Amino acid sequence: MTATIVAQQIINGVVLGSLYVLVALGLTLIYGVLVQINFAHADFVTLGAFAAYFFMHLLGGSYLASIAVALLVGALLGVAINLAIFAPLRHKGSELLPLIATIGVSTMMQNAMLAVFGPVPYAFETPYSQRVFRVAGTFFTEQSVIIVLVSIATIALLYAFMKFTFLGKALRAVAQDRETAGLMGINPNYLIMLTIVLSSALAGMAGAMLAPVLVLTPFAGTSVIVKAFAIVIIGGFGNVEGTILAGLLVGLIESFTTQYLDPGLIDIVVFGLLLLMLVFRPTGLISERREENV
Amino acid sequence: MPHLSWHDCRVDIFVVTVGLGDKIAEEWEPLRKQRFILAVSALSLIATVAFSDANAQDKTIKIGALFPMSGPGAYFGAQDKQGVELALEQVNKEGVNGYKFTIQYEDSACAPLPASQAAKRLLDQYKPDVIIGEECSDATLAIMPIIAQAKVPLLNAGSSSIKITEPGNPYTFRILPDEVMQGVDLATQAYNKLNARTAVLLYENTNSGIGNAKVFKDTFEKLGGKIIADIGFGRDVNDFTAIATRVAGAGKADVIPTYTLEGQGLKITQALAQAGVTKGGGGSAIQLGTIWLPFGFEQKAGKAAEGYVRIVQFDPTDTRPVVKNFISAFKAKFNADPTHLNAHAYDQIMLIADAVKRGAKDAQSMRDTLAATKDFQGVTGSVEFNKHNQNIKMDTIHYMRTEPDLSWTALKWN
Amino acid sequence: MSDAVAVGPAYRSSRRRLAFLFAALVIAVLPLLLTSGYWRTNLTLCAINVLLAIGLDFILGYAGQLNLGQSAFYGLGAYVSTLLITKFGVHFWAAFAAGVAFAGLAGMILSLFAVRLRGHYLAIASLGFAVIVHQILLNWISLTQGPLGIYGIPPPPAIAIPGLPPIEFSNQVALFYLVSAFALLAYLLLDQLVRSPIGEALTAVREDEISAQSLGINANAWKVFAFGVGAAVGGAAGCFYATFVGTLVPDAFFITESFTILAMVIVGGMGTLIGPVFGAILLTLLPELLRDIGDLRLVVYGLALTLVVLFMPGGLVQGWELLRRKFAGARVAGGR
Repeated sequence: MTATIVAQQIINGVVLGSLYVLVALGLTLIYGVLVQINFAHADFVTLGAFAAYFFMHLLGGSYLASIAVALLVGALLGVAINLAIFAPLRHKGSELLPLIATIGVSTMMQNAMLAVFGPVPYAFETPYSQRVFRVAGTFFTEQSVIIVLVSIATIALLYAFMKFTFLGKALRAVAQDRETAGLMGINPNYLIMLTIVLSSALAGMAGAMLAPVLVLTPFAGTSVIVKAFAIVIIGGFGNVEGTILAGLLVGLIESFTTQYLDPGLIDIVVFGLLLLMLVFRPTGLISERREENV
Repeated sequence: MPHLSWHDCRVDIFVVTVGLGDKIAEEWEPLRKQRFILAVSALSLIATVAFSDANAQDKTIKIGALFPMSGPGAYFGAQDKQGVELALEQVNKEGVNGYKFTIQYEDSACAPLPASQAAKRLLDQYKPDVIIGEECSDATLAIMPIIAQAKVPLLNAGSSSIKITEPGNPYTFRILPDEVMQGVDLATQAYNKLNARTAVLLYENTNSGIGNAKVFKDTFEKLGGKIIADIGFGRDVNDFTAIATRVAGAGKADVIPTYTLEGQGLKITQALAQAGVTKGGGGSAIQLGTIWLPFGFEQKAGKAAEGYVRIVQFDPTDTRPVVKNFISAFKAKFNADPTHLNAHAYDQIMLIADAVKRGAKDAQSMRDTLAATKDFQGVTGSVEFNKHNQNIKMDTIHYMRTEPDLSWTALKWN
Repeated sequence: MSDAVAVGPAYRSSRRRLAFLFAALVIAVLPLLLTSGYWRTNLTLCAINVLLAIGLDFILGYAGQLNLGQSAFYGLGAYVSTLLITKFGVHFWAAFAAGVAFAGLAGMILSLFAVRLRGHYLAIASLGFAVIVHQILLNWISLTQGPLGIYGIPPPPAIAIPGLPPIEFSNQVALFYLVSAFALLAYLLLDQLVRSPIGEALTAVREDEISAQSLGINANAWKVFAFGVGAAVGGAAGCFYATFVGTLVPDAFFITESFTILAMVIVGGMGTLIGPVFGAILLTLLPELLRDIGDLRLVVYGLALTLVVLFMPGGLVQGWELLRRKFAGARVAGGR
C-alpha cells in the first residue's frame, strides 16, 4: 500500500514537474541571456491556453495541432513585447524598468482577457484527459503521458538547438558572457529578439499543455508563475539543465508535501529550499559556470 | 536660476493627482491652468449636487452594488450583475408603489481594503438607500461597520461566515443560509440518510472553506462519525491528482465533503474519479458539496460527477411559478441557464422591491421593512429574518443528487 | 539640479525648510478640502503607501539592494502590532514600536543572511522571504487566524492634550493627520540620513563595493543598516494599515504587493526621496480615479504604468525636471 502510494506520488510529481519545467524554461532563457524578467510570462501562458481552447472548441482543430497554435501565439506575443518593451528600454539605465513595464503589461493582459473571456472557468477537455491507465495499483491519464512526452521532446529540441546550431551556440555565449556576442559577429538585437520569441513561444506552448490541467480562467498562469520563479532559481539562473532538474524536484515536493504534510505547506517547503540553496549553493543545482553575481 | 515659487509646487501636485491625462501645453501658464482645474472640479461638484437633488425629487430607490468585478473574484461579480440586470428590468417595467430603481456598481475586489474604499465611494457619492453584496466573507465583514455607521441596510447573499450575523449588526441582512445552518444539516443528513460513518474533508483555505469544513467536522464527530483525513489547499492548486492519491490511501471514506469553487471543484471531482475513489470512478465514496457549484457543473465534469450529493441554493427543477418564470426570463435575456449566483442576485433585488411594496422609501424604512420580512417567496427559497437578520428558512437548502445520465434528482430532505 | 551648485548650502537648507513647511501645510489643508469619507480614506492610504515607498527606496535607491520583500515587512508590522493589541492587550503605541522593531529586525536578519548575495539573487531571496512570510500568516491559523481574518481592530487610543479636547483617532481626519505626520517625519529622517556621511557611505557601497571597502567602509554593515531602516519604515506602514482598515487578512500582504510598491518607487524616480512620494500618491489614486471607466479600469491602469516607464524611465522626477527646464527656458525667452 505504502509503496503504491509512493510510486503514485512519484508519477504525479513527474507529470506536474514536466509542466512546471515548460513554464520555467522560457523564464530561464530570458534571464540567462538578458538578465531580465518578463513578468507577463504567466499571461503568455494563459493566452496560449485560451488560444488552444478556442482552436479546438471553435474551429474544431485537434489537440495536438492546438499546441502548435498556442506556440505560434506565444511567439507573436514575444515579437510584440520585444518591440514594445524590451528593445526600447534596453539602454535606458535601470534593469528594473522592463520588470515594471511588464508588470503593467501583465495587469493589462489579465484584465483584457477578463473582459473578453469572462471569469467563469473553461472546461478544457481533450480526448485524452479522461482515459485512465491503471498499472500495478497506480493510475495516470493519457493526457499526462502526452504532457511528459511533449516536455521531453521540447527539452530535447531546445537542447539540440542550444548545443548544435550556430545561433544556439551564440545564445549560450551571450548567456555566459555578454561581451563575446559582438565578437561572434552577430547583431545582439537579433539575438535578443530570438531569445524573447523563443521564450514566449515556450510560454504559449506550456499554456496548451497546462490547459487541461489548469483551472482555465484569465488568472490561470499566475497560479504557476510563483513556482516557476522558484524553479528558475533553484536550477541556477539561466541554466537549462538545472531548470529541468529543479522543475521535477518542485513537482515531487508538491506531491509528497501533499501526501505527508499538508498542501498548504507546499510553498513554504519550496521557498525554504530556495533560501537554503541561495545560502549553500547559490549557483544552483548544477553549477557549470562562474558567477559574477555572487 | 529659476526660483521655485509656491504655485509651481502646487501645479506639480495638481498635475500629479488630478490632471493625470493632461498633455502639458507648450506654453505653460500654471496659474490659469490651476484655476481651470479648480473651476472644473467646482462645476462637477455643483453638477453632482444638482443631479442628486433631482434624483431625490423623483421617486427612486437607489441600490448600491458592491461586487468583485476584477481579479479571480470577478467570477461572482459578473454573474451577480446578470441576475441584478434581469430583476431591475422586470421591476422597472411598471415600478413599485410609483418607485423606480437605479443601481450603481462598484468593484469591491473580494478583499477588505478595496471593498472598504468602494463602500465609502458608494456612500459618499451615490448615497444609496440600500446596498447589496459582497461575496467574499472577509470583504463583507470589513464593510459591515462602515455601512452600518452610515445607517444604510446591507443585503448579502453570498458570504457564509457565521460572524456576519453572529453577532452581526442591525443593518446587515443575509438571505444565504450561513455556514452553520448548511454544515450542521449536511453532516446530519450524511449520517442519517446516507449512513455515512467516515469522511474525508476537502476545502480551500479561505474564510468560507475553513469555516464550512469545521462545522461539518464538529457535527459529524458529535454524531459518532469519523474524519479520516482533513485536507485544506490554496486557491492556486491546479492539479488534484496528488490530493486524490492521498484520499485514496487514507482508507475507506463514505463521504467526501468538498468546499471549493467551480474551477477547482471540477478538477477535484475528475481526479477523485480517476483515483477510483468516488462512484463516478467505480469506487464507493459519495462526494458531498455545499452551495458553491452552479447548475451545469456535472455536464462540465462528465461521468466523474455521478453520485455527487450536494446542497444547491437554487433548484432548477423546482416547479414554483417564481422559479419557472425566472428561468425562462433568464434564458430569453442571456441565452444561458441561470446559476445560483444569478438567482441570488435576482432575489436580492426582488426582496428590495418587495420591501418597497411594503412601504420602504429610504434607507431607514428599508432597514425596518427588511427586518419585518415574513415568508417572502424568492427563486432560491423563502426569506424570514431572525433577530440577527439571518434568513432562517430551511427551504433554501435543497439537496440534489447527480444521476448516471448527469441529470439531477431533488432529494427533498428539507 | 546643476544650477543649484552655485547656491550656498545655507540657502539650500532654508529652501528645504520652506518645502517641508509647505508639505505640512498641504497635509493640513487636504482633508479640509476633501471632505468626503471616501477621499479622506484615499488620503490616508496615500500616506501609508508613501511610507512603504520611501522605505523601499532607501534600501533600493540609496543602498542599491534589490529588495522584493517589502510586502513581508509590511505584513509583519501589521500582524505583530495587531496581535499584541488584540491578544495581549498591549497599548497601541507599545505595540506599534514592537511592530516597527520586529519588521526592522526581520529586515536586518534577512540582509545578514543574504549579505553576500547581490542583484537578482538578493531580489529572489527577498521574494522567497515574502512568499514564506505570507504562507506563515496564512497557515499559522491558531496565531494569526489565517484566512479567517482578524476583524474590528480598534483605532489608536485618543491622545489627551491638557486644555484641549482629546484627539480621537476614530475620526478619519485625525487618523490621516497622524499617519501623514509620521510619513513626513520618516521622510525628514531619511532625508537627513541620505544627506549625512551615512548617506555618502551608502552611495559608495552602491556604486562600487570594492572601492568602498578599500576606503574603510564596512559594506556589509551598511547594507544591514539600510535594510533594517527601510524594513522598519515598511513595518510602520503595516501598523497603520491594520488600525486604518480595521481588518487583517494575509492576502493583503501577498507578494504582488511588493511589486506594486516597487512600481511606486520606479514610477516616482528611484534614488530620490521625493520621487517615490509622488509615485506612491499617483499609483494609489490612479485606480480610484479610473473607477468611472468601469470594467476596463485596470486595463487602462496597466497601460498607464507601462507608458510611464517607457516614456519617463527616470520617473516623475525626471518628467518634472524636463518640464521645469522647459518652463525656465520659456520664462527667460519671455523676459526678453
